[in-house]
Amino acid sequence: MTIAAGPPQIAWQRLSPRMLLVHPVHELLRELPWLIGAIVLGSTTGNQSWTVAVLAYTVVIGVARWYTTSYRIDADPQSGQLQLRAGLLQRKVLSVPLNRIRSVQSDARLLHRLMGLAVVRVNTGQEAKGENGSGVFELNAVLAGEVPRLRAILLADSAQQVDAPTAEPSAAGAVLARWQPSWLRYSPLSVSGLLSLAAAAGVVYESGFVGPLQHSRLAESALAAAQRLGTASTVEIVGGVILLASVLLAVLRSLLTYGNLVLLRQADVLHLRHGLLRLRERAYDMSRLRGGTLRQPLLVRVFGGARLDAVMTGVHGAGEASVLLPPCPVSTAESVLIELVGDRDVVTGPLRGHGRRAATRRWTRALGLPVVIGVALALMSLVAGKSVVPLWVWSAWIAVTAWCALLAADRVSALGHRVHDGWLVIRAGSVERRRDCLATAGIISWTVRQSPFQRRARVATLVAATAAGVKRYPLIDVPEDLVWAVAAEVSPWVAESIWAVR
Amino acid sequence: MDNRTPGPPVAGLVDPAHPPSRRAPLRWAIGGVIPWLLLAAGQAVWLEFDKRMPWLHILLGVVTALGALISLAVVPMWRYRVHRWEIGPQAVYTRTGWLVQERRIAPISRVQTVDTYRGPLDQLFGLANVTVTTASSAGAVHIVALDVDVADHVVAQLTDIAAIGAEDAT
Repeated sequence: MTIAAGPPQIAWQRLSPRMLLVHPVHELLRELPWLIGAIVLGSTTGNQSWTVAVLAYTVVIGVARWYTTSYRIDADPQSGQLQLRAGLLQRKVLSVPLNRIRSVQSDARLLHRLMGLAVVRVNTGQEAKGENGSGVFELNAVLAGEVPRLRAILLADSAQQVDAPTAEPSAAGAVLARWQPSWLRYSPLSVSGLLSLAAAAGVVYESGFVGPLQHSRLAESALAAAQRLGTASTVEIVGGVILLASVLLAVLRSLLTYGNLVLLRQADVLHLRHGLLRLRERAYDMSRLRGGTLRQPLLVRVFGGARLDAVMTGVHGAGEASVLLPPCPVSTAESVLIELVGDRDVVTGPLRGHGRRAATRRWTRALGLPVVIGVALALMSLVAGKSVVPLWVWSAWIAVTAWCALLAADRVSALGHRVHDGWLVIRAGSVERRRDCLATAGIISWTVRQSPFQRRARVATLVAATAAGVKRYPLIDVPEDLVWAVAAEVSPWVAESIWAVR
Repeated sequence: MDNRTPGPPVAGLVDPAHPPSRRAPLRWAIGGVIPWLLLAAGQAVWLEFDKRMPWLHILLGVVTALGALISLAVVPMWRYRVHRWEIGPQAVYTRTGWLVQERRIAPISRVQTVDTYRGPLDQLFGLANVTVTTASSAGAVHIVALDVDVADHVVAQLTDIAAIGAEDAT
């Protein structure tokens, strides 16, 4: 890489010419509905020129897109920037200063991998919605071999800033976590399998295969079998099949997305690589790391699992962008977080509970509605006679109430926080339990929020606002007289402010 | 974690000192009652065309009248009693809301932008709103319904203090 001093006359570079093969295919896939329509139209009218026209159109668009897209990198430490010039009819130039780049990821779908290519995405952490999504900048695509060099250039600037309250970098290229086949046991019970099943069913309906199927011999024999078995057992069988299929799909999906996952740390950069078919690689700048979140959805927690999300500035806090580890054994997630945070007590240490009044609120909120319904049911059966409310309603009510009580107890036991050596730890939730570990230096402002009920119970929700992760980290129902003490313990400037009462 | 302030733990924060403009309740009352008036107008039109179900008309009319009364007489004074703001040497502190109340404090060293906003009603009453944004989308401080000259003073003061520390502020 030549460093240009003075007038930035760096030549514009084209993306890899191999994209001449990839683009048309992707265009064809994207235009598949049109293509199918054209083929159907062609075969009904006996004139296949429609098909040829659509094919030619997509191929030409694919080639033109490659031809009109170019990029250049000015690696000057002060004013360096990455520029992308694109657009067929509407020419536009996107520029990103190198020192604004927060993370660089690469993504290679199957076709890209076959051609030895990878898409490079640059995240600038701009919250403002850019023209193409939220501050995301895409080079589609360059040679896979080029990616490490590009990443080094793009992240060179930010990697030098060391102002983060993170641990000392360990040995270069230390592997923090590696995917194990046993991790698959957390995936069967996720919703993703059911969703992909629904998506597949939708595709089948859309494609119009259902019409002929309805009158086929298969459907008729299935109907006859259902009549023989009766409604109840048919529902059972169909439900069982759907459950089995969704479990299989979820496991398969998890295997394909996360199989061969490797999380490693090289000095100040965290590398995450995963995907059997579609290979994804992310590099996070550790100086942007403001902590981590251990998430334990109920079904994962039951089997002793946890997920790990990164809390970083410039990386969206929820969703795929921040995932460091998919559902895996708690011990693995915890040890990785300890490695990142550099303090065992932050990740596993005991928390300070929020007291009796917060517990009471958990109980009243969980049991309020069931109790009201129960009283209403009891009144109905008293007034109108016992037969009005059938027995199964009562048993359902008991089940729901018991579930709510368990939920409340679990929520009470989860609720807590800890301020420890530059870290704020928050734990809450039952169905979606999370333990957020935040570097106190990353916390910007504090909000104390009270609803009328909270005012009566003399508790308040304390919200820590950061520029990282999900931005808003609430501590639910902290006793009113303790909220500002907690805030001041975390942020000394609160204690030093002119309003502080000691 | 913090060895510089060994003093006793903070027991609480006193409320910020300054109330909003004296004209703020009037502005909130007008702004709050307008949706209810639109709703009432809609109901009048409906009544003109469809006179069946008189009980429904009466019920909705009572609800609308109650809503208008509350937003006209109760909410503005309640908000005026809650709303407070103050700018200290190192931080901005506000108290807002009526039913749900919020106190928000942000250090001036992390302030990124200071904006003023004047809607049509604000201009009518000579008011301005100041928004102090930080690097966190959850951490913006809103000081609402100030007199225009007070708002200008606030903006000047904040930009003066914020200009001293020029960090990344994340």
